[in-house]
Amino acid sequence: MNTSVSITINGIAYERSIPIRMLLVDFIRYEAGLTGTHVGCTFEGACGACTVHLDGDAIKSCLVLAVQCDGRWITMVEGLAEGSELHPLQIAFNEHHALQCGYCTSGLLMTGVDLIEKDSELNEEKVRHGITGNLCRCAGYSNIVDAILSVARARTREEEE
Amino acid sequence: MKEIHAGGIGARLPRKEDIPILRGEGRYFADISIAGQLHVMFLRSPHAHARILSIDVSAAEELPGVVAVVTGEMIRNEMLPLPQPSVGGGLPGRKPKFWPLAVEKVKFHGEPVAAVVAETPYLAEDALEAIFVEYEPLAYVGDMEAALDPSSPRVHEDWNDNEIFKSNFRATRSADDHAAHIEEAKRRVAEAPFVVRQRFRTHRCGITALEPRGALAVWDATEGITTWMTTQRPHLQRLSLAEVLKLPQAKVRVITPRDQGGGFGMKGSVYREPLLVAYLARHLRRPVRWLETREENLMAAGQGRDQIHDIELAADADGRLVALRDKIHTDAGDGCLGGTWGYAMPMVGGMRLPNAYILPFCDIQLRVAVTNKASLCPARGFGIFAPRFALERALDMLARKIGIEPAELLRKNFITTFPARLSTGLGYSSGDFVKTFDRLVELVDIPEFRRRQKEALSLGRYIGLGISTGVEVSGVDNLSYLTATGGPSYATVDLRVDPEGHVTVAYGDGPTGQGSQTTIAQVVAEELGIDPQNVTVLSGDTLTTTYSPGTVSGRGASMVLPAVALACRDLKKKIVRVIANDASIVAGDEEFSFADGYIIYGGNSNLRRSFAEVAHRIVIGAVDLPPGDTGGLEQRAVFEATRGNVCFSAHAAFVEVSPETGRVKITRYVTSDDAGVVINPLIVEGQIQGGVVQGISNFFFEEYVYNDEGQQMTSTLESYKIAKAPDVPRIEIYHDAGTPNPSNPLGTRGIGEGCIAPVPGALGNAISDALRPLGIEITDLPVRPGALFHKMNAALKQASTSAGN
Repeated sequence: MNTSVSITINGIAYERSIPIRMLLVDFIRYEAGLTGTHVGCTFEGACGACTVHLDGDAIKSCLVLAVQCDGRWITMVEGLAEGSELHPLQIAFNEHHALQCGYCTSGLLMTGVDLIEKDSELNEEKVRHGITGNLCRCAGYSNIVDAILSVARARTREEEE
Repeated sequence: MKEIHAGGIGARLPRKEDIPILRGEGRYFADISIAGQLHVMFLRSPHAHARILSIDVSAAEELPGVVAVVTGEMIRNEMLPLPQPSVGGGLPGRKPKFWPLAVEKVKFHGEPVAAVVAETPYLAEDALEAIFVEYEPLAYVGDMEAALDPSSPRVHEDWNDNEIFKSNFRATRSADDHAAHIEEAKRRVAEAPFVVRQRFRTHRCGITALEPRGALAVWDATEGITTWMTTQRPHLQRLSLAEVLKLPQAKVRVITPRDQGGGFGMKGSVYREPLLVAYLARHLRRPVRWLETREENLMAAGQGRDQIHDIELAADADGRLVALRDKIHTDAGDGCLGGTWGYAMPMVGGMRLPNAYILPFCDIQLRVAVTNKASLCPARGFGIFAPRFALERALDMLARKIGIEPAELLRKNFITTFPARLSTGLGYSSGDFVKTFDRLVELVDIPEFRRRQKEALSLGRYIGLGISTGVEVSGVDNLSYLTATGGPSYATVDLRVDPEGHVTVAYGDGPTGQGSQTTIAQVVAEELGIDPQNVTVLSGDTLTTTYSPGTVSGRGASMVLPAVALACRDLKKKIVRVIANDASIVAGDEEFSFADGYIIYGGNSNLRRSFAEVAHRIVIGAVDLPPGDTGGLEQRAVFEATRGNVCFSAHAAFVEVSPETGRVKITRYVTSDDAGVVINPLIVEGQIQGGVVQGISNFFFEEYVYNDEGQQMTSTLESYKIAKAPDVPRIEIYHDAGTPNPSNPLGTRGIGEGCIAPVPGALGNAISDALRPLGIEITDLPVRPGALFHKMNAALKQASTSAGN
């Protein structure tokens, strides 16, 4: 059974007729053709590689049906950079060697940005617990934590100045 | 100390491959689609062991969107089974025959039984439910020791028992000499003043990569079959595809996606599914795509370790090791895995058991059983995770028996003369184990820890320190590799310079996140004096690269990078000849330096030409070249190892175990590694940070669980638990006590593969050290808080009872 939806992804509205059982992550990958969001588990919300922002909150796009997102807006990894200018967290991931295979990275970026934007007093423990919904198999987490903290601290410094 | 050039060898250069991935522009397997592609889903066996009585696919075939449904019976005469020569190789054990879909019976829970090809994955999945299979369940063979009993039901009915491989690691000794060798080992153990006898068990776990597997095949009557595939070994896949599809190799092309979401050995094998996908594409004359689900991955791929060691380790009164005896059992699962057949890992693990120590007399007996489980699969450490746990734990227990610090026992027994050969025949090229180990000991300050430990214990707190080591053989000679894998080990690179001086390096491996685009660029930058941003790396396409063994065994740094250096050095000779010829001078190679994008003649600093200009001169302005030279600036180089290049690691773990919960907190984890000459410290440290965390994850969390009927109970990432950020510490990494490797032109060693192997020993020793007052030794993995709590509780109760008496 199909239904019509309009979902705004990274500022562009995608109007599609889709099966009602279609997951948001499949809508993103196959209807919008955006492949930065990855799938690492069996749509069980365990790996976090598909994390996106739905109306500004980090969610796992494999745990949401596309029809639930009708009329709502989504930001995902392709929407983080402003043109050629990378988001500070993207730069920090590169500088801190926070990725190896990179498969978990888009999800961790979205979770990381969410943490930074919502908590102005992040510390290592908060970040480690904050990214507990995202699995990374290669990097061992510490460099990811460092990257997120470096951006959070730079932001705090900016606000103080 | 050697000067580090920006972007050259030794620079902490942020990785080149990161930027597209960070933008969400990575190109992974799932991101590749071909117009008109069909989708495959597999029906997998719900039984561990059962005869297939009938399969009815007629209802499934009628469903909307379904293009084809195939079963084992339908394909068994259409394609050849494995083994075939390329994936049978020189391996000395048995190789069970298998097709991509079960024929006659199923041998593990999760074995593919039928496949549906449909217009969408959703429709293919629907159709799986309309396939009716009648099974006759058979007795489940699930215990590796019981499986070897002659009375056991057989996994492979054309075999007379369940033993897929056995070895006594005779090396080059004659049968008589070996019998005498074993007798001597026995005698030494019997007569030694200090002996540890202990059984150690390492459970079934592995390093499942975050990106599952996949294959997409396109058939073209002229070009043959082109298959995009997640694999660390595209050339091996190509050979095996050609064999099973009965095609000339020239009609088979395998391409690994530019980005791969991890491999760790899991993507190093020849699996059933991609073979079938390629067959279907040819059969249906349509592009066919299979994207593995996590559930399939956890059921069918990536299960490693699974060994039992019964060790006897003996030392003399001075604490010198005199002999080692070990009966090793390994559960190979069904052994139906092209490349390693479930036993190459324990075979290599047995060869490497003596690790870093002088152990002239070893009696090592390995028996590998087939069972009704998924085949054992390579996992980072390739067979040494379990042996390192067993031996490093035994050493720790032996030191206690002798009454010395474990670190002192290890230090007394390190191999110090190189090249060295183990009693199992394995050769070590070079290293300074003592130096690297001493650096670790200096960092951890054992006397200070003992003082704190005593103090903590008086307060009822259990803290412990565990030390262990590991030698990894990264990059071996062709003969060893041919014997173990059926293919040679050499590395080939093709280097090409374009008219703007941009360098492209092509090689035939399938990297999975190691940062090879960056390290290769750094070696080129160092050798040719150009910016690493002016280097592009191509890999993983069998049409455009020559044969290569694959991204396995820490070969990147120890084999591929030396080949890159050799290619650059040969290329420079031509460049110098042209410059000298143009300037009408006679000059030796060493009189020219390559730096900052220029080539400068030492004899006259006015003779200075930009690399880009010279590239254009040779590639495009290809006239008036020196006699014998031709136009174009390209170079191929091959690097062959002469003997096993080793990488030594020493780890120290500090833990605290809570008597209230049995939980283990790792309070500090330090490594000292000999990575040889480090090309990029950021990447080396990243490998160790990640490798140690994987080891921690294996040790405490991950376990493939089969119930009494052989049902695999851990097919989701909820039940197969992988360590998360709060579960692990920050690893302190030191590689400043390394030694350049004299066996290759760069002095590099491969750190990636082996850095996981010392982890279970370090953790096991640390926890045992913490719990020694309670008499608890860690002998079985994984270590779970619940079990530890009960053991501690029982010991504490007993202690208070005896105190009361």
